[in-house]
Amino acid sequence: MHKQTITLKNSATESDKLSENLHYFIHSNNISPDIHDDLRLAIEEIFINIISYAYPVDKTYDITIEFSHTVSSLNITFTDSGTAFNPLSCTTCKDDLCDGGMGIPLIKSLTDEQSYKRVKQHNVFTVTKHYTKQK
Amino acid sequence: MSLEITITPEKNNSKRISISGSLDSNTAPQLQDKVDAEINDSINATILDFSNLDFLSSAGLRVIFKTKKIMDNSGGKFLMVNLQPQIKKVFEIIKALDGMNVFKNQDEMDDYLTAMQNKVKDGE
Repeated sequence: MHKQTITLKNSATESDKLSENLHYFIHSNNISPDIHDDLRLAIEEIFINIISYAYPVDKTYDITIEFSHTVSSLNITFTDSGTAFNPLSCTTCKDDLCDGGMGIPLIKSLTDEQSYKRVKQHNVFTVTKHYTKQK
Repeated sequence: MSLEITITPEKNNSKRISISGSLDSNTAPQLQDKVDAEINDSINATILDFSNLDFLSSAGLRVIFKTKKIMDNSGGKFLMVNLQPQIKKVFEIIKALDGMNVFKNQDEMDDYLTAMQNKVKDGE
């Protein structure tokens, strides 16, 4: 299996499913488990960012997450139909405890590549994590 | 993923908050509720024990920093102990360990607390 897609609602309670799918994808594709903890945190931060910034809190929307991999990297793409929102350019923070938000530095540090594009009224955000192939 | 929180009184009007499991966007409100109920400016020190915490996200960090702020504002101490490597890494990424009282284990923290108490006794 090289691809797996799930669709979640814009609710924080859905983030457990995200973690479960990451765990399953890594395990079932014989991908190095060393990258699991970093990616678990990075995708939780991305998911919560999308819920917080791309949608009004009182309406339900779908967020699609696609896991895919090559021999040496795992890619995770989030696609949502919310307000145009590029996490990489986010410098605002919802409280006074941090400058620029804590999620963004975590995402950047825990993944090797990040990209954002706006496609047909959708936000498409992809992170990539490289790994060494397991013997 | 679940979070277990145990709050126990310690000597010298301190409280220990032991957290285990996952401190994330779903469970952070549970910790915030406990902090709101148990931690106030009459407490001399709050000890956050991470022994069995295996996941920490920015939502959890916000509760931790709010708790530290309560202690800072009242002149109390905020201490963190037993951070596992994956938890310490989260603090390091956001450069939040500077100015924090962080201890590898209970013995190291006990030495610090004893030294603090001796200073108070000596009237320093």
